[in-house]
Amino acid sequence: MGYSDPSSSRDLLGNRTLFFIFICAFAVVTLLQQILYGRNYLKRYFEFYEGPLEYNSTKCLELRHDIIEVKVLSMVKQTELFDRWKNLQMLSKIYFMDTSGIFHINQEIFKMFPKDMPYHRSQFKKCAVVGNGGILKNSGCGREIDSADFVFRCNLPPISEKYLTDVGVKTDVVTVNPSIITERFHKLEKWRKPFYNVLQVYENASVLLPAFYNTRNTDVSIRVKYVLDDFESQQAVYYFHPQYLINVSRYWLGQGVRAKRISTGLILVTAALELCEEVHLFGFWAFPMNPSGIFITHHYYDNVKPRPGFHAMPSEIFNFLHMHSKGILRVHTGTCSCC
Amino acid sequence: MPERGPAPRRRCGRRMAGLAWKWPRTRLPVGASALGVFVLCWLYIFPVYRLPDEKEIVQGVLLQQGKAWRRNHTAVALFRKLLEECCDPAQLFAMTKLNSPMGKNLWFDGEFLYSVTIDNATYSLFPQATPFQLPLKKCSVVGNGGILKKSGCGKQIDQADFVMRCNLPPLSSEYSKDVGSKTQLVTANPSIIQKRFQNLLWSRKAFVDSVKVYNHSYIYMPAFSMKTGTGPSLRVYYTLKDFGAKQAVLFANPNFLRDIGKFWKSKGIHAKRLSTGLFLVSAALGLCEEVTIYGFWPFSVDLHGKFISHHYYDNVLPDSGFHAMPEEFLQLWFLHKSGVLRMQLEPCEDPLIQSSA
Repeated sequence: MGYSDPSSSRDLLGNRTLFFIFICAFAVVTLLQQILYGRNYLKRYFEFYEGPLEYNSTKCLELRHDIIEVKVLSMVKQTELFDRWKNLQMLSKIYFMDTSGIFHINQEIFKMFPKDMPYHRSQFKKCAVVGNGGILKNSGCGREIDSADFVFRCNLPPISEKYLTDVGVKTDVVTVNPSIITERFHKLEKWRKPFYNVLQVYENASVLLPAFYNTRNTDVSIRVKYVLDDFESQQAVYYFHPQYLINVSRYWLGQGVRAKRISTGLILVTAALELCEEVHLFGFWAFPMNPSGIFITHHYYDNVKPRPGFHAMPSEIFNFLHMHSKGILRVHTGTCSCC
Repeated sequence: MPERGPAPRRRCGRRMAGLAWKWPRTRLPVGASALGVFVLCWLYIFPVYRLPDEKEIVQGVLLQQGKAWRRNHTAVALFRKLLEECCDPAQLFAMTKLNSPMGKNLWFDGEFLYSVTIDNATYSLFPQATPFQLPLKKCSVVGNGGILKKSGCGKQIDQADFVMRCNLPPLSSEYSKDVGSKTQLVTANPSIIQKRFQNLLWSRKAFVDSVKVYNHSYIYMPAFSMKTGTGPSLRVYYTLKDFGAKQAVLFANPNFLRDIGKFWKSKGIHAKRLSTGLFLVSAALGLCEEVTIYGFWPFSVDLHGKFISHHYYDNVLPDSGFHAMPEEFLQLWFLHKSGVLRMQLEPCEDPLIQSSA
């Protein structure tokens, strides 16, 4: 029997052991939280799913109408959709959304803006807003998306042959995040043809940019217009009015969506609610599992996770599900079988 | 104490002033200052080096006018050998895959201790080797001097096999009679890209349209001379490739430019930097068999004493103190006299005949 460490028996419930136990307990609690939370969202989802789904039932339409009239339009009445041209003609400067500065609109920039609002309220019957969630993979929703009158897409998603059956090809508005231009296209300071080729895929779709979100985005976004002009493209370029972004953000904050920045998808859904009678959401899903519990990739084309703490995706999705359960819009999460 | 300070010094100063005319207070011994005065007088009588002024140069040029110019083939060969020894224009004229392999460190010739390493992206922009059929036969190097205006030299310039021009000059129809329309190589300074085309950061169509006049020519850009020039020069390449333009971009080799600079410095050109024209003429002398230069005339009067504009298309004077144009002109004039190149200064056709035709 050799000598053992004399301090080993003394520290039975001493500092070190207690510390270790604390760490273990914390880990277990976190793990449990994760699991329970994961269960929870599925549960909540299925709860909503039980609700009335007859899209055209009078009761549902009424409710939806109410909500659009009261909630969404109350916000919308003081803003218009993309840019307030009348005001811009008088104002020579606009404020960035994140209040990082003031942008002075000179003659050249002003010429880029379209004369009129490109779209007006309740113009379309059926709209599809296509997110990029991995839930779209193998969904076969392509034809249903294409059957919509107006299709919104987010952040230059690939719509090549490979994804045709799942996401369709029809595109009327595609948004481009300036961060994509910065990362994938070197701020358009070098090659421009690759970017143009990517935009060409969307044929006649209008390009929608949050140019006046903050100072970093402006130069890059304005360059998009120059690129399309240089290559004599017919595609239109629109910029979100910063005031519109502020109002949308404020509105959804009131609805309980807490994020540093609302996602492009949410802005598009808001716009769609204004422009269209029926709004269908495809690929809006930000969880690692689909409703039947199978793991899916983050996007339908890759599995690159976003930066944490930037967008509040789950909160936004729950919000959509909530609206879905009230029949305001329709969130497609399963496979499509229609048409 | 501080108030009383200045008073004694003033008194002292007065005393000194009184003494000054008797005995000047100097630190140098009298012999040294006498020597200094002597040297100054010597320099005044026998100046070390003085650049001849405009009138003298014009007079000197006029003296030569009557004599017929003949190409001196031995002098041409000798000068080409000199250039090949110092700078090797055939190999080093442009950046190529051969002379600048990947990972090579490039020291900028217009900056103090600044270099870039050629990475994969930059390397892919270079051609395999200098893309000319060497040696070139007859070359015209066209400067932008105002002396070209109403010269009617266009036809003669176009007769050469290879026409080089400087700094994206305008070639519209109103000038084609005087400067020709053919171009095989045109240089472009990044500063022009910056001034006229906003560094190609915004709309690029204007640039592409403006270089359409140069048809199938090479655009020669000193991309690796100044820090600020690299971005615009590479952007010129991207732009022309994006639009599928006929023009190709060649990047100047900083080693070549530095060697040419040293070469002319040893011949006595004191300037911060050589002008594009002299770079081009040196390159042409190394690459071509017969070189004729047009529009190299940096003075405000022509041979007959008439005032002319600085460029044939405008009268914007350059920043002073950057280029030493008269010195460069004297060197070229010396080459003309020794038969290495031909410098065209008079109108090629009689203006009277031109007007009647």
